[in-house]
Amino acid sequence: MASSGAVPFWRAAGMTYITYSNICANLVRNCLKEPHKAEALSREKVHFSLSKWVDGKPEKPTVRSDTSEH
Amino acid sequence: MAMAAALRREGRRLAQPINALQSHTSLISQDQAPHGARSISTQIVRNRMKSVKNIQKITKAMKMVAASKLRAVQTRAENSRGLWQPFTALLGDNPSADVKKSVIVTISSDKGLCGGINSTSVKISRVLHKLNSGPDRVTKYVILGEKAKAQLVRDSKKDIELSLTELQKNPLNYTQVSVLADDILKNVEYDALRVVFNKFHSVVSFLPTVSTVLSPEAIEKEAEAGGKLGELDSYEIEGGETKSEILQNLAEFQFSCVMYNAVLENACSEQGARMSAMDSSSRNAGEMLDRLTLTYNRTRQASITTELIEIISGASALTG
Repeated sequence: MASSGAVPFWRAAGMTYITYSNICANLVRNCLKEPHKAEALSREKVHFSLSKWVDGKPEKPTVRSDTSEH
Repeated sequence: MAMAAALRREGRRLAQPINALQSHTSLISQDQAPHGARSISTQIVRNRMKSVKNIQKITKAMKMVAASKLRAVQTRAENSRGLWQPFTALLGDNPSADVKKSVIVTISSDKGLCGGINSTSVKISRVLHKLNSGPDRVTKYVILGEKAKAQLVRDSKKDIELSLTELQKNPLNYTQVSVLADDILKNVEYDALRVVFNKFHSVVSFLPTVSTVLSPEAIEKEAEAGGKLGELDSYEIEGGETKSEILQNLAEFQFSCVMYNAVLENACSEQGARMSAMDSSSRNAGEMLDRLTLTYNRTRQASITTELIEIISGASALTG
């Protein structure tokens, strides 16, 4: 297995398996040819807002969104 | 939602003229119209009929929208079931696992007007919370969607760890849900994650469902105890990874897959519930309209009759 050597490295970088597999998936998507590539990339949009709660009160929500980046 | 508030306000306003109308009709029947009044104004009834008709139009349109959204999300939800099934085949579902730190992930919708699906998942979450809390056991909530948040804030805001909203701005996709699952994993400590959602069964039936994702340590503990997880040792591990590394990767991936399926199933149930709720409310509006039309016509008829009698008796008084 080619990836087995890489495991300790992305773990040490503070990534979870989910982040790692997302990066890999994005790489694969970027390998597509043009009409399909734009379609696949536009399909996978991230948008949600997250707020942590401390002592029964919500903190200011942080918005995770990549619509502005593209 | 602004519309819900408008509907509710409309309902409250509507409640009054009904009584007013009844008192009017009772006045007619007893022939005790206020002094000097010739006939009763039907303006109020006409206005109400107009507003009920408008509400019916709105609910019909919402039903159509929900139906078309449902069709799109239903196929995705059904396809996504293939993602968690292998995990359940490999690791099994362990809802009864006895762990110290449980995290309940309650999935609900951001918008209302969709029947009881949100209260169902909140109720199930409360039961799970009660079952899993004890002297040395901690249970926390992670909430997806505005509606469950609004309900859980009331009695257990101390136990809320995270809340996530605005999920459905773009069509749901795996990348989004996996980033979300990642954020949850990074922000909570857990031995077991219990995902509560409404599983879509048909347009009118949703099964409240709990999926349990155990942390790698909890899996190993369960594996030692035997049962289905005891068979894990019979698998051969390729590459240089240790069993605990594999288990950790698996648990993380399992969580994101379970979340993806759960979010889709819940979105599907939401649209289905909204569809049936809107269907019954437009039917209700139709019934109300029928009743109103009947009262309106009866009142109109009565006033015409009164006028006729007045004219005829006036004429006969002149000739006689």
